[in-house]
Amino acid sequence: MSFKKQLEQHLPHWVERGWVSADNAANMLQDAAGGVHHGPRYLTLAFSLLGVILIGAGIITFFAANWAAMPKLLKLAVLFSALWGSYALAGVFERRDLPLLSGAMLLLGVILFGSNIMLIAQIYHISAHYPDGVMVWALGGVLVAWLMHSQPAMVAALGLGVLWTGLESQGFGRTVHWPFLLFLALSVPAVMLHRWRIALHVALSGLLVWSWFTFMAMSSWVSGSGAAVYLVQVYFLAYLALFIGGMLLHGRDGWQILAHTVQRYAAFAALGCLYLLTFPDLLRADRDGAEFWWPATMATLLLVVAMASWHYRSHGADIRPRFLNWGLGLLGAVIVLLLANLAAERQSAGVLALLFNVVYFLGLLWLLQAAVHLENRVLVNMAFFYFAVTLLARYFDTFWSLMDRSLFFMGGGLLLLGGGYWLERQRRRLTRQIAVQGEGSA
Amino acid sequence: MKLSYRLLIIIVIQTLVLAGMVAKRQWTLATGTPVVLETRPVDPRSLFRGDYVTFNYDISRLNLQALDGDDDFSRHDVVYVVLEPGTPYWRPRAVYHAPPAGQVTLRGTVQYAGEHWWNPETGDNEAVRHVTVRYGIEDYFVPEGEGRVLERPVADETISLRVAVDRFGNGAIQALLINGVERYRETLF
Repeated sequence: MSFKKQLEQHLPHWVERGWVSADNAANMLQDAAGGVHHGPRYLTLAFSLLGVILIGAGIITFFAANWAAMPKLLKLAVLFSALWGSYALAGVFERRDLPLLSGAMLLLGVILFGSNIMLIAQIYHISAHYPDGVMVWALGGVLVAWLMHSQPAMVAALGLGVLWTGLESQGFGRTVHWPFLLFLALSVPAVMLHRWRIALHVALSGLLVWSWFTFMAMSSWVSGSGAAVYLVQVYFLAYLALFIGGMLLHGRDGWQILAHTVQRYAAFAALGCLYLLTFPDLLRADRDGAEFWWPATMATLLLVVAMASWHYRSHGADIRPRFLNWGLGLLGAVIVLLLANLAAERQSAGVLALLFNVVYFLGLLWLLQAAVHLENRVLVNMAFFYFAVTLLARYFDTFWSLMDRSLFFMGGGLLLLGGGYWLERQRRRLTRQIAVQGEGSA
Repeated sequence: MKLSYRLLIIIVIQTLVLAGMVAKRQWTLATGTPVVLETRPVDPRSLFRGDYVTFNYDISRLNLQALDGDDDFSRHDVVYVVLEPGTPYWRPRAVYHAPPAGQVTLRGTVQYAGEHWWNPETGDNEAVRHVTVRYGIEDYFVPEGEGRVLERPVADETISLRVAVDRFGNGAIQALLINGVERYRETLF
């Protein structure tokens, strides 16, 4: 039986008992009836987008096959009229209150803008630095997204932006592709303003990809062999600042869903960096170029302190949960440890790794408490995932050389079975707690 | 802002970008000094964009020790190659970081800078400071199926290109020549 039918069956009974007012019962039924339309709406969107992609691919391959038979002027006329036509149709559909079709036409316009760049380059034999073409294409998408409030256009633009930074960083061996951050600065305000979740996922994924490219470039090109250790520290601090930004966002009405997304990506990256710092081998690596990394570390550190202070002040003492207080102590310990690592010689790697492990496990505990408070189930799962992975890593680090191989594997098996059972029980308990909290607050 | 204005802004900006690509290339073709460059087609491809031939110019690989100008280049540097007329092809005379005034100069980007190169005439690896340069005139689109023909010229057939070089150092292919005779010529429309 459908949800709507169940409501129709039960609501008169609930109204009779006084649990639900007659007005609210009518509203609930109307809302449920509206929900029935979600299927076909999404189907329309899916078909529209698929249609647009097929038309775009068809136009490109049609020209590729028939190009030679057309004079240049006709080629240009076809290209420009297709572009203008798609935007004109978007306007027509928008006026007729068909937003999904209008959005699909806007996306087609963005695709055609890119294919026109490629085809005009072909007609006039322009073979310049081709990532520039992808950049112009992406900026064209951002323009459409800003002016027409179109999430599909923004998703396409961000995807192209990631392709652009990939081509520049990997295909052309640029050391660090800073302009991508400028591109994000142009795009993300629209994403936040319109609260576009999918676009935010793409933007944050793009930031992670860019961070990886930058790490690869800096490890091999810039500032000596110490880059691997020190850049991980800078990344940790930067993503921690982003996580605190996500916590600040969580406190604002209507921003919770976006805040959750920001927290997830930021926590994933920050934990990943801290996890790397728990390995003595990384800390034992050559440490040339520490002086290069002091300014970057101090700048990101100040950013973290500023964000944490802002968050602390926005929660008065009466409403401040306990985990925030001990979290500040933990943050202080992490900062001292990071600075000590920046100043330390590689001989201290063993002690530093031990301290990083302690801070890391305390950080996971803090994250679990924060996740419950922020009602973010993904963070709970993430904390347990990192906990399990680290537990296994430490087991392999510690016992591989100490134990007989058969005992080692049996021990590992037991650890997996027993630890997995325990971790899963705890994870379920906490996610249930968040679900109950969510229902309570709703 | 009204819907029609917003759409108009998008159409105007995107059209200007595309028209700008055409106009820039046409300006180079119309105002540039024509120079004939020796070349070998190396790589015809057929992707989404149809058939095109990639040319390897005689000036794509420069022996810095044999040329005037600067000799401290690294990857991604912008270079200005001064060309002088020869018979039948134009030849490089000097290479600079900055554009010299009053000379026919082609602008490019260093793809590779090295200290040794392989000499095809002697078959030896020689100590020569050199750069490989890309000028943005390496690709030439041809009607479908003709890329392969250009890739494998028959015996005694030489392929060269007439390139227009504007005063900013931009190059644009004006015509493709086979044995000095025009096979393809570029026009605005």
